[in-house]
Amino acid sequence: MEQLVMSSGPHIHSGASDRRIMLDVILALLPAAVAGVILFGIPALWVILTCVLSAVISEFLFNLIARKKQSVGDLSAVVTGLLLALNLSVNVPLWQAALGTVFAIVLVKCVFGGIGRNFANPAITGRVFLLIAFPSTVAGGALPKGIDAASSATPLDLIGVEGAQLPTLLQMFLGQRGGAIGETCILALLIGFAYLLLRKVIRWEIPVIFVGTVFLLSLIFGGFNTAVYEVLAGGLVLGAVFMATDYTTTPITARARMLFALGCGLITFAIRWFCALPEGVSYSILCMNILAPWLEKWTRRKPLGGV
Amino acid sequence: MSLKKSISNLKLPHYKSTAGMAAVRMPIPKEVLIPLSPMNAHHATQSEPIVQVGDHVTVGQMIAREKDRGASHIHASVSGTVTGIEPYTMGSGSGTAIRIESDGKMEKCPDLKIPHPTNLDEFLQCVRDSGVVGLGGAAYPVWAKLSAAQKTHISTVLVNGAECEPFITADHRVMLEQGDLIQKGIELLKEFMGSEEFIIGIEENKPDAIAQLTERFKDDKAVKIMPLSSVYPQGAKQVLLYNATGKVVEKGQRLASLGVIIINVSSLVKMAEYFVTGMPMVERIITVDGSAVKEPKNLIVPIGCSVRDVVEACGGLKEEPGKILFGGAMMGKTQESMDARIMKATNAVVIMNKKDTKKTAPSPCIHCGRCVAVCPLGLNPTAFARAMELEDDAARAALLQKEQVKVCMQCGCCSYVCPAHRPLAENNNAGIGFLRKWEKEHPEGGKN
Repeated sequence: MEQLVMSSGPHIHSGASDRRIMLDVILALLPAAVAGVILFGIPALWVILTCVLSAVISEFLFNLIARKKQSVGDLSAVVTGLLLALNLSVNVPLWQAALGTVFAIVLVKCVFGGIGRNFANPAITGRVFLLIAFPSTVAGGALPKGIDAASSATPLDLIGVEGAQLPTLLQMFLGQRGGAIGETCILALLIGFAYLLLRKVIRWEIPVIFVGTVFLLSLIFGGFNTAVYEVLAGGLVLGAVFMATDYTTTPITARARMLFALGCGLITFAIRWFCALPEGVSYSILCMNILAPWLEKWTRRKPLGGV
Repeated sequence: MSLKKSISNLKLPHYKSTAGMAAVRMPIPKEVLIPLSPMNAHHATQSEPIVQVGDHVTVGQMIAREKDRGASHIHASVSGTVTGIEPYTMGSGSGTAIRIESDGKMEKCPDLKIPHPTNLDEFLQCVRDSGVVGLGGAAYPVWAKLSAAQKTHISTVLVNGAECEPFITADHRVMLEQGDLIQKGIELLKEFMGSEEFIIGIEENKPDAIAQLTERFKDDKAVKIMPLSSVYPQGAKQVLLYNATGKVVEKGQRLASLGVIIINVSSLVKMAEYFVTGMPMVERIITVDGSAVKEPKNLIVPIGCSVRDVVEACGGLKEEPGKILFGGAMMGKTQESMDARIMKATNAVVIMNKKDTKKTAPSPCIHCGRCVAVCPLGLNPTAFARAMELEDDAARAALLQKEQVKVCMQCGCCSYVCPAHRPLAENNNAGIGFLRKWEKEHPEGGKN
């Protein structure tokens, strides 16, 4: 008799795979990456390549040394490298970019057990590590080519500064302002957002609630114009679309995810408005990453036919 | 109640290529082997043979008598000679089966009479005599289900024509071809149980069945044809009940206590058939499909015939089989060989080729939440997975209890959507098994 497979159901599968999801995230990040290279020039490309390569190589070597199953094929290291690069200033020395990436991959992801096991977002933690270690080169947003400005201050530094020359809203939307490589071109980020929605990789709730909370609070405290600038400036859109939606470090249930996004918005606004720091997106997501398991617990629902 | 919208949301490929194929009778098999138990893990019970090796039997003649509510009377599905009363195993179940060598005549049992019950008790006795069980897969005797009407008033009868499982079109064909028996069945339940409301729930991927039945019952105010969205598992008890009536069977509750029973449309028809012809359940319509089957068909088959005979009636196999399923692609049960036997609750034989059987190795959970989002009951399969990784039995049981693994109905949605290809449904089942055993060993609830 022929060999028949004995197994429990289901006997068909949706065809979804981790790798395909990661590939979709990479594709969704490409518009922002391309925009970054156009705006900031070829040096931006070197930062991106450095981060992606060091992410893949460090994960590969970690698995090799720790004798773990090779995992670079799932493309998640590429996502982390790419995301981190888009969060860095074009002025960052390449060795610093590489160091931050290795930190993100090895200390934040691999030692916790690899994909799916890390409690904090590797790209954000890598960025925060670099911000603290090398504040001058990482935080200072470089200005795009062809934009004349006396200083390299980002719009977030300038909002509220008397007599400061802010970029126009259109410039802000297209990315012609100071900032990290991938965070300035809102148009490119929205294209990526639309793609992720279309592919059903993420749902709209987290980005919309996150950005919406910041907008509303800024509107209340600073008026309409300020609110629009707050939304377009800094890393808010990049963070809300690509980092606050990271599966592993956000809650697993829909309701907890909404609460997560609300918390991100509140903390981002609080940091931007009340603290000395110009930017709060990274810190807010990190804080909420830690709260994620509790959010799941607090929003637990009674299953149908359960108690 | 917290969940409001349609609580199932998984869109599956239908693979219902046999939907347009009228059921045809398969050639009389040379022999049948009729299992005497429903062969599922929960009902270990089986019926008692009342014939002996060498006896001549005719179609419809009782050959085994039920001993309790879990099993049903078994009737000969072919005429011929009893050649064996032998052990039979199937998946997790094992028991006895009666082998009948067919004389090829399909001679009807002369003692069969058309029943004429006059009250509920007599009606239930007749249904009991018919040997009809839940044909959607549960195989619970229909009379036992209907007997709830002796204690509670059953105001609503939910007729399940959802047929949400990929591949299967047997119920669809029944609805198209046996509308008069659906009507007869409803009239019987109206007469003897006094039910006021009949809802026939049909997935909208069967517009012809919806149209035909709507036309048939257009003058009957008590009967409502309810089109349901084609989402899996629309036909599951809790899902159908909620989507059709907004009611929920809470923990520890029985469906009948809500004044509702759910009966599969094929079971209703089989039951009605007995009151028209006097012939108990000896055959049924099954769908034969799958990538390895040459000519997929809807077949009328005698109970106890082998997969081999069924496949032969469908032109044989065009490819080497990888998996033989009784039931659909989501919840179907794998069979060990082509010698597996069609039982009363077998609604489909799906034979997949080697390619479709290939499994992707699981990778780590990435916490994407798709399993949580897709679960029609609002469970969290990742929590069960976490529980099953715990070393400490008490801690594991506590987490499984807290996350209520026992609510899981094994629909398989979670495994289907998991991008990491993790065997979540299988793990849920293991969790249920573990918790049942643990609770039996720790009747005080484990608080020590």
